[in-house]
Amino acid sequence: MSPLFTIAAKDTKIMVRDRAALLVMLAMPLGLIFILGSALGNIGEGDSLDTKVAIVNLDEGDTGARFVEGLTSSEDIDAVFNISVREDAEAVRTEVERGDLTAALIVPADLTEKVLADEPVALEVLQDPGSQMSAGIWAGVVRAGVANASAQIIAAHTLQETFAGGAAQGAPSGTVGSPPSAQQIPELAFDAVTVREVEVEIEKQVSMISYYAAAMSGMFLLFGGMFGAFSFVRERREQTLARMMSTPSGKVTIVGGKALGVLLIGALQFIVLYLGTRLLFQVDWGTNVLGVVLVGFAETIAAAGLAMTLAALGRSERAIGGIAPAFIMLFAALGGSMIPAEQLPEWLLPAQVLSPVYWTVDAFLDLMRGATLAAVAPNIAAVLAIGLVLFWFGVWRLRYE
Amino acid sequence: MGTIVEVRGLVKRFGELAAVDDVSFAIEQGEIFGLLGPNGAGKTTTISMVSCLIDPTAGSITVDGNEVATAPGAVKSTLGVVPQEIALYPTLSAQENLAFWGQMYGLSGGALKSAVAEALELAGLADRAKERVEKYSGGMKRRINIAAGILHKPKVLLMDEPTVGIDPQSRNHILETVKQLNAAGMTVLYTSHYMEEVEYLCDRIAIMDHGKIIASGTLNELRDVVGGMDVVDVKVTEVTDCVLDRVREIEGVKQADRTDGAIQVLTPSSGSVLGKLVATLESEGAHVTSITVTEPNLESVFLHLTGKSLRD
Repeated sequence: MSPLFTIAAKDTKIMVRDRAALLVMLAMPLGLIFILGSALGNIGEGDSLDTKVAIVNLDEGDTGARFVEGLTSSEDIDAVFNISVREDAEAVRTEVERGDLTAALIVPADLTEKVLADEPVALEVLQDPGSQMSAGIWAGVVRAGVANASAQIIAAHTLQETFAGGAAQGAPSGTVGSPPSAQQIPELAFDAVTVREVEVEIEKQVSMISYYAAAMSGMFLLFGGMFGAFSFVRERREQTLARMMSTPSGKVTIVGGKALGVLLIGALQFIVLYLGTRLLFQVDWGTNVLGVVLVGFAETIAAAGLAMTLAALGRSERAIGGIAPAFIMLFAALGGSMIPAEQLPEWLLPAQVLSPVYWTVDAFLDLMRGATLAAVAPNIAAVLAIGLVLFWFGVWRLRYE
Repeated sequence: MGTIVEVRGLVKRFGELAAVDDVSFAIEQGEIFGLLGPNGAGKTTTISMVSCLIDPTAGSITVDGNEVATAPGAVKSTLGVVPQEIALYPTLSAQENLAFWGQMYGLSGGALKSAVAEALELAGLADRAKERVEKYSGGMKRRINIAAGILHKPKVLLMDEPTVGIDPQSRNHILETVKQLNAAGMTVLYTSHYMEEVEYLCDRIAIMDHGKIIASGTLNELRDVVGGMDVVDVKVTEVTDCVLDRVREIEGVKQADRTDGAIQVLTPSSGSVLGKLVATLESEGAHVTSITVTEPNLESVFLHLTGKSLRD
C-alpha cells in the first residue's frame, strides 16, 4: 500500500476508536436532527398567518404603482402578510415554486393601457396549492383591492362629471343643466380588471426533519476537519509527524495522506448520517443518490481543507478546540444550519457565498426537492473551490516542527 | 570497514543561537558511536540534521555515500530513527504500530509480517502484541519505540536518548538490544547524557557541550584527557565557595569542582591528599560523610573539560 493510503487508513482506524470524536461526529448530529426536526416540525408545514408574499409591478403606466401602493400601505394587510415588492417576475415565480413564497401578485405591463382602453386585463396571483388558506386570503385581498380601485375610479368619474357639468353651464350647447350621458364621458373603470389565480406547480416540500438532516449533515461534516486538525497537531506534539518525515515519504505524501484520512472519515460519517436519517427518521434525500453523494464528497473536501487551515493556525489541540467551533458555527449559521438561510438579515446574505455549509445545504435541499445533478453542479463547484482555497492556505502556512 | 556517516563543519543556528557549532565526526561501519553531553548540548539537533528532519545552516552530512542535502530519500532509506519521545500511536496496538511504520518504509505482505514478528520478539513483547500501546508501561513503550525504528533493517540506527525515564530493568533490556543489533552488523549513533550507558555501549565517543564537540575518541583516549589522575568524590554536609577555594589551595589538588552535594577532586596522588582534604573540610565546618576514590570516567572528563557536571 502506498504511504498515502497507509497514513489515511491509520488515521481512520484511530478516529473510529475515538469515542469522543464519534459522539461529536455521529451521535450529536443525529440527536440534533431528531430534536430540531421534531420540535420545529410544524413550522413551514401548513399555513402561517405571517405569510410571505411578493408583488411584481410590471405596469408601464402609473395605475399599477397606485394599486401596489394601496396594498402595501394598508396596516391591516401588513399585519397578516410579509409583503416584498420585487422586480423580477421569473425569480418570484421560482420562489413560489420552491415554496419560499406562499403567493405572489404579478401586475401586467399593459395594465394602465388596458384600463384606459377599457379592455380586459388580468392581474396574476400565483399561489402555492399547499398553503391554500394563506394563498386564498392573498387572492381575496387582491380582489378586494381591485374592487376598491374600481370604486375609487367611479368616484373620481363622478367628480369629473360634476366638474364637467359645472364648466358646461356657460357653453352654448343644448346640454345645459343636463348631466352628460354615459356615452359622452369615457368609461374608465377597473371593472374590466380581473384576478386570475394560478396554482403554481410547487416543488416537493421538504419536511423540517429533512431540512435539519441536510443542515446538520452540512455542518457536522466540517467537524471532520476539526478532528483532522487535532490529529495533525497531536502528531506534531507527539513527534510521530517528525518520525514520519524521517521515513522516505516526502511532505507532500504525508500531508496528502492526512487529508485523505479526513476525506475517508468524512465519507464514513456521511454514509452513517445518510443511512441513519433515512432509517431512523424516514428522511427523504430524493432519488438522485449520485448527486447527494457528490455534494457530501465535496463537503468532505472542504472539511479536509479546513483541517489544514486549522492545523496551520492552531499551535495546540486546545487552540484548535477554540478556533474550530467558531469557524464551523459561523459557516453553519451563514449556511442555514441553525435557521433557514433565507431568514437571515439581508445584510448578511452576501456573506453566505463564503460558507461551504450554505452551498451544501442548499444543494441537499434542492436534491430532496428533486433537482438534477446539473442543477446542483454550481453548488458542488463552489464547495470545492472553498475547500481548495482552505487547503492551499493551510498547506502554505503549515508548520511541521 | 569504511566510514558510513561523515559529518563535516555542521552548523545550525536558530536566530543568534548556534545550537550546533562547527561539528565534525565520522562513524565507521559496524561501530557504536556515542554523542555524550548534558541536555541542550546540541545532540538532538545534530541527530535531527543527520536524519533529514532539519536543514543545516552550514556543513555537510554524508550517509552511506549519499549527501543529505542532495539525496535525502536515499539517506532516509538507509537510516532507522529512534526518537527521544515515544513516537507511537497510543490507541493502536503494538502490532498495528509496527505494521504502520513498516509500511512507511515500504514493507508489505509477508516481509512486513515477519519484520513485525521479529521486532516484537526483539522487544520481548510478542505475547502482548495485540494490546494497545497506551496500556504499556514506560519501559515497554520505549522498547516498541526502538522496534519501530529497526523494522526495515537499516544500515545505520540513530538513537536519541532511548532510555530516558524508564526503570533499570527496561534500561538493561534496551542496552542489550543495542548490543545485539550492533552484533548483527548495524551501525549505531547513540546519544545520551548518561555516561554509564555511553561507557558501556560505545566504541567511540564525542562529548558535546554548547553545540560543540569538546573531546572525542575511545573511552581510554578520553580518560587520558584527565592525565591519569585519581578522582576523589567527597560528600559533605555543605559546599560553599569558601570551602571550595580552600580545597583548591591544598597541595597536590589539580582541580576541585562542585558536583551534586559533593566536591570532586582530581589529583595525581590521592594517598597524599586525602588527609589534608579531610582536615581542611572539617576545619571549615563542612562535615565529611563519605569519600570515594575512583579512576577517571566520562563524568570526570566532562567535569575536567567544562568545570561542570553532566547533570547540571
